[in-house]
Amino acid sequence: MVQKYELTQEGKEYLKKGLPEKQLVEILNKQPMKSLSFDEAKKSIGNFYIGLQWALKNKWIESYGKDLVLIKYPGKIPEQEALEKIERGEEVEQNLVNILLQRKLIRKIVVSEADKLIGKEVTTLTPQLLKSGLWKQVKFKKYDVNIPVPKVYPGKLHPYRQIIEEVREKLIGLGFVEAKGPLVELNFWNADALFMPSDHPARGIHDIFIVKEPKQGKVIDENLWKRVEETHNKGWITGSRGWGNWNFELAKRLILRSQTTAVSARTLSKLKRDDLPYKMFVIDRNFRPDVIDSKHFIEFDQCEGIVVGEELNFKNLLGYLKEIAETFGAERVRFKPSYFPFTEPSVEGIAFIKDLGWTEFGGAGIFRPEVTYPLGIEVPVLAWGLGIGRLAMIKLGISDIRYLYSDNLSWLRNKEMVR
Amino acid sequence: MPTITYDKKDLLNLIGKRLSDEQLEEIIHLMKTNVESKTETEITVELTPDRPDLFGIEGLSRAIKQYLGLQKGLKKFTVNSPQLHIKASYLPYRPYLAASVIRNVSITDSFIRSLMNIQDVLTDTIGRKREKVAIGIHDFDKIIPNIVYTEVSSDEKIVPLDTNEEITLAEVLEKIPKGKEYGHILSGLKKLPAWIDAKGIFSFPPIINSERTRVTEKTKNLFVELTGTDKEAVLQTLNIIVTNFAERGCIIEATKIFYGEKSEVVPNLNPTFIDLGIDETNKLIGLDLKKSDIIDALNRMGYDVIENKGMLKVFIPAYRTDILHKVDLIEDVAIGYGFNNFIPHLPSVATIGKVHPIEKLSNKVRQLLVGFGFQEIIRPILTNHKNLFDKMNIKSEAVIELENPVSSEYICLRNWLLPSLMEVLSANKHVEYPQNIFEVGDVVVPDNDEETMSKTIRKVACVISHSKSSYAEVKGVVESLLKQMGVIYSFKENSSETFIEGRQASIVVNNKSIGILGEISPVVLEQWNLEMPCAAFEISLDAI
Repeated sequence: MVQKYELTQEGKEYLKKGLPEKQLVEILNKQPMKSLSFDEAKKSIGNFYIGLQWALKNKWIESYGKDLVLIKYPGKIPEQEALEKIERGEEVEQNLVNILLQRKLIRKIVVSEADKLIGKEVTTLTPQLLKSGLWKQVKFKKYDVNIPVPKVYPGKLHPYRQIIEEVREKLIGLGFVEAKGPLVELNFWNADALFMPSDHPARGIHDIFIVKEPKQGKVIDENLWKRVEETHNKGWITGSRGWGNWNFELAKRLILRSQTTAVSARTLSKLKRDDLPYKMFVIDRNFRPDVIDSKHFIEFDQCEGIVVGEELNFKNLLGYLKEIAETFGAERVRFKPSYFPFTEPSVEGIAFIKDLGWTEFGGAGIFRPEVTYPLGIEVPVLAWGLGIGRLAMIKLGISDIRYLYSDNLSWLRNKEMVR
Repeated sequence: MPTITYDKKDLLNLIGKRLSDEQLEEIIHLMKTNVESKTETEITVELTPDRPDLFGIEGLSRAIKQYLGLQKGLKKFTVNSPQLHIKASYLPYRPYLAASVIRNVSITDSFIRSLMNIQDVLTDTIGRKREKVAIGIHDFDKIIPNIVYTEVSSDEKIVPLDTNEEITLAEVLEKIPKGKEYGHILSGLKKLPAWIDAKGIFSFPPIINSERTRVTEKTKNLFVELTGTDKEAVLQTLNIIVTNFAERGCIIEATKIFYGEKSEVVPNLNPTFIDLGIDETNKLIGLDLKKSDIIDALNRMGYDVIENKGMLKVFIPAYRTDILHKVDLIEDVAIGYGFNNFIPHLPSVATIGKVHPIEKLSNKVRQLLVGFGFQEIIRPILTNHKNLFDKMNIKSEAVIELENPVSSEYICLRNWLLPSLMEVLSANKHVEYPQNIFEVGDVVVPDNDEETMSKTIRKVACVISHSKSSYAEVKGVVESLLKQMGVIYSFKENSSETFIEGRQASIVVNNKSIGILGEISPVVLEQWNLEMPCAAFEISLDAI
C-alpha cells in the first residue's frame, strides 16, 4: 500500500510562492551584485529566517558583514519539486518526504479503506461505507449467484422427534391428558393387570426382557393384587371363567416394559369417579427381545390412549379410531376384527393414506371386564394404540428401523424437516 | 405370530363353494387373521392366538361356511362310545392325558399336510412348545392293545420316527434333533414318560413317535394321544383336533382312560352355554339390533341360540376355547353383523388435553438447545458397562441389567446420557466439525424405595466438539440454559475422571448437585477414538 501525503497550509503557501530559501535566492539572483543587505532581504520575504537557514545550510549563500551574497544559484530545488509532485499525487523519494515532513510542509493522509474505493467496484458493503455515505459513490461487484458456498447445518430436532411432537400436539387437541410410567416394570402391570395369563406365550423370555437384579418389585396395593389374582383364577365378580391359575411370583418379577398399556393400567388404578370422563395418552419407549436388523430392534415406541366414561361403546371406539386416522391424513378408514389379550371386542384400523394406499395404522378395543373391574373401573374403557415408529418410518421414507435411533450425524443433518 | 399355509384348492373343496381370491381374502380377514401372502395354489395366513380352532384348514373352512350361511349355526358332532381302554399312571411332572380313535380316514396329500400343520401349530401355541401340551398321531391298526401311559427307565428302547434303528430313550434325548430341541422339558427326571402297547414303546412324549406306528397312505384309522401339564388345555386341544378330522368325514371314537379306580371318557364335544342379554349386547356395541339380528349374527359365527326368559341362551361349540366371558360373544355379534356396517360415532366427551409436565419441560430445553445450534440425538436406552463406565474412565456403578440379553451391545439400561453422545461422536469422526449434539432422554437408576426398585429419570446432555471447544464455552451454554429456565444455580469444583482435572464443575441448585460440566479428559477421548477436544454437560431435568 503506497502511503499518501498532502500539503499543509504552509506547504500550500510555498507551493504558490516558492519555498523561503527559493524566494531568498531568487531575490539575491535579481540583484546586480548578487547581494543584498540582511535587513532588505528580511523585509522582502516572509519566513525569512527559515529561508536563510536552509540557504546557508545548502551553501547557496554566505553572509559578509551585513550583506547576504549568493554564491551558487541552485536552479531547480528538489524540495520545491517534491511539493509539486505531492500536490499532483505523484510519488516522491523517501528522504525528501522525510525532510518535508520534518518541516511540517506535508502530512500523511489517513485514507480510509472506503475512501480508496470511491468510484471503484467494491465486494463488501461495510458499516463504514454506510456510515460515511460513501456507498452512494461505489459500485457493488456482481456476484456469481450460483457460486458454491460452505454448508450450513442448523440446530435441529431429530426427524423422529418432529413426528412424535406432531402426534402429541394432535392428541392434546383431542382432549387427551399425557401419562408416564416407569421403564422397569413389574410383570403385574405389564401383563397380569391386563388379564394376560401367567403362561401367555408373549410373557416368555423370548418376548420379555427380564431384570437380573433385583428380581422382584414391591406389592403396593395388596387388595388390588388379590382382585387380580381372583380374576385370573376364577373370574372374581367379572362374570368370566378366568384362566384357572395365576402365578404370584411371576407377577412380582421385574422386567422391562414391553407395552405402554402398562401405563394405561396404572392410570386406571388411580382414577376416581370425579375424574370421569377421562382421556389419557402415552407416547413412550418399550423393550422386547428380537433379532437386530433393518426390520427389527429391541426398543420401540408406542402411542396409545384410553377413553373412560359412561355409555361408551364399540361404535364410539370406531369413531375415535377414525378421527385419529384422519388426523394422520387418512382419506378413508376400514375396520377388521383383531385380537389383543386385554380387549374385547378388538379391532384393527386400516387407513387409505395418499401415496401409500391401504395401511394398517393401529389397533383398538374395549378393555375386558377382567381388566377394568379389578382396577376399580366399572364403566367402559375404550383403548387404542399406534405403532408410532412404523408410522414415522413411512412418513420419513426410511426402510431401516435403526435410523429412528440413529448415530449417523450426516443423515440427521441432511434429513429434511418433516412437513 | 406364526403363520400357516393353506392349500387353496383343498380349502375351497372343504368350503364347497367357488370363491374368488378377493372374496376368500375378505372372509379370512374377518376371522381375525391377516393374509401374509398368496400364490396360485396357496394362501399364507398370520395366525391369531385366540382362535386355535382356525389353525387347521378344516376349522377355517367350517367357520367360512358358517359365515356364508352355507351351514347354519352350531356344528354338531357325533362321538362314538369308547371301545379302547387306556391305563394311565400318575406322572406328577406330566399328569394329564387324552386320546381318541379316528376311524374311516382316507389319507391324501392334503390330509397329511394339514395333519402336520395343525400338530406343529397347536403344540407351539396352546401347547407352549410341547411343555403344556404335546400331540402324537399314530396308525391305530399298528398299535396292539392294551395301551398304557406310564413312565419307564431311560434304557428302554424305541425306533424313533424317520429312523430304522432301535435306540434307548436316553439316546433319543442326546442324538435325535427333536430330543435336543425338547429334551429340556424332561430334564432331571429319573424315569421318562411313554405310551406302551403290547409290543413296547410307541410314543415318547413330548419328544417323538415311533416309526412302527407311522401314518402312511395306507392308514385307515388313527390314534391321537395328548399329554400335558394343564388338563383344560389338553382336553381343548383334543377337541380342536378331532373336530377338524370330523370336517373331513372321519368318525370320532372316544376312549376310556383309567386312573386307578376312576375313569374318564374323552373327548366330550357337548356344547357349553352362556346367557346373553339383548340390551347388554346393544349397549356395548352401540347399536340397536333386534333379537333376530343378534341371533342371525351369532348363527353366522357358528353358535346356536335359543330364547330363554328374555335372555339368549348361546350354545358354544366345544372347539371354541377362547370364550371366557359374555364380551367374547358380543364381539362375535359385532363381527357377524360386520365391522364395516357400523357407522363410527365420535361421542362428545369434553375433556381438556394436557401434556405431561416432564415432556413440557423437555421440549422447552430442546427448543433452547436447538436455538444454540445443536443437533438433537435419540439413542437406545439399552447399552453396556463398557460404554457407561470403562470408556468414560469411571468405576462401574449399579445399573439395571438384563437376565436375557440378545446382544452383548445391549445388556443394561443407561444410568447417564453422556456415553450415548460420545458413541455418536465416535461414529462420526469423518463428518464436518463442529459437532454439537444433545439428547433429552431417559435413564434408569436402581432405587430400593420404589415399587419397581428403580427410577426412570429424564436428563439432558450435550457435547460440544471442535478444535477450540472449552470449559468456558460449555459453561456459557449451561448458564444461559439455566437462566432461561429460571433456575438459580452455582458451580462447585468437581473431580470426576471423565473430565480434565481442574476444568470441571458440578452444577448446584438448592444445595444439591443436579449435573456436571467440563472438558472431557483425553483419556476418555482416546477410549472413544476421538481426536477432537470435547466439552460437555449433563443435567437432571427432574431436579429443575
